[in-house]
Amino acid sequence: MKKLVFAIFCLSSLGMSPIPDQTCDSDSFATACIPKLSGGFNFLKSYKVDGVAKDKVEYSYVFTKGTQYLINLCANGSATDGIVVSIFDKERNKVATSKINGQFVSAIAYPCNATGIYYIQYTFDDPSGHCGGSALGFKR
Amino acid sequence: MLIFAVNPYHMKLLVIGVAAALLVSCSSGKKPDDEAFLQSLENQTTAGAGVDEEVINSILEQIPSPLEISVLLKESGSKYAPEILNSSNNLPKYNSNYKKALNLGVYGTDLGYTNIFGRNADGIKFITSIKSLADELNIGQFFDVETIGRLAANSKNLDSLLLITTMNFNHINHYLQAQSRDNLSVLLLTGGWVEAMQITCQTAVKNPNNKDLREKIGEQKIVLEQILLLFSFYTEDPNMASLLADMEQLKSAYDKVEISYTYKESTMEIVDGVAVIKDNSSTTINITPENVKEISDITNSIREKIIS
Repeated sequence: MKKLVFAIFCLSSLGMSPIPDQTCDSDSFATACIPKLSGGFNFLKSYKVDGVAKDKVEYSYVFTKGTQYLINLCANGSATDGIVVSIFDKERNKVATSKINGQFVSAIAYPCNATGIYYIQYTFDDPSGHCGGSALGFKR
Repeated sequence: MLIFAVNPYHMKLLVIGVAAALLVSCSSGKKPDDEAFLQSLENQTTAGAGVDEEVINSILEQIPSPLEISVLLKESGSKYAPEILNSSNNLPKYNSNYKKALNLGVYGTDLGYTNIFGRNADGIKFITSIKSLADELNIGQFFDVETIGRLAANSKNLDSLLLITTMNFNHINHYLQAQSRDNLSVLLLTGGWVEAMQITCQTAVKNPNNKDLREKIGEQKIVLEQILLLFSFYTEDPNMASLLADMEQLKSAYDKVEISYTYKESTMEIVDGVAVIKDNSSTTINITPENVKEISDITNSIREKIIS
């Protein structure tokens, strides 16, 4: 019985250690991003960007030739809060990014010229809350 | 501020630890209950290892929306063809969850097609069918039929209509995945894809000189590969295994289609706060009218099985 009590105590300490109050309501950010898809773009997907316990968040999607895609970013505070969205092709070549020459922008317009699986990757430049949302739209 | 939060990973450790401690503390004289407990842990591990839901969900997320194809069809100048859509009269035929999920996807694509062509009156029929199937699959709460019906009544509401329909289907998929009913999510997306393929193929056969349509059909090879990958997780389900066999036939036809990719570094500039990319990469899709005919025939046969 002592072993049981000791095991519970040790594991409780491990599982319930005090941690900073870092919760991420990425769902709300993702939803808030949808109406920001302007300029004739049709909504396709919204993405939660919860990087509180990660250094990157990644999704994938089949982009098709002849279609223009728009990916935007929503976060707390400043427009992108240090969140960078990048697009990689199936061979992991970077084809687009929202950080150009050190400048952060809140959307990427990507007129796809090659059909295939693409990876939409979110990374975090410090200082960042590692928390946000994003939406993907398309138009022909 | 500091709070006591339970990290899910730590929680798992805690549960395993308690279980381990229980086993250690009761190590002398194992009882039948202990064995049952051990067995239950074993079963949980086996089920989890068999189907990796995270992998399935990430593949599901890749599948493009059938709406993209409908937009292409409209912009290619093809005429609205309601006769190639699934009749709402077929609804009573769908008695199993397998058929309901597939045809929920089919009707979803048909609704998108009518919306894109601004034929909202036709769309109303599909809305009713969709709501009925969604209710029977216990996912009706995600389909806001009232709002969609109101938006559909006015052709000026196209953007809002497309937005809310897409959001509803995304919610349904996320819910099914969260509920570990991802097999239904796979069927829903597959039904939607097969219907979009069927519409595109029928349109392409009528317009044999339309290269864009041919290429659109050819590039679906990439999507088909992802769908086949998804089905490989459900080979123990007789219905899904049977559909997989049909889709394998489609793959054989697609093996004759060649897609080559050439990467070339893209260029970017910032315009009005948006990173505008110039994609310098390219794909070449080699697909002949004969390939289209073969793909079209197999697609129609699969679609016929789905809707009948």
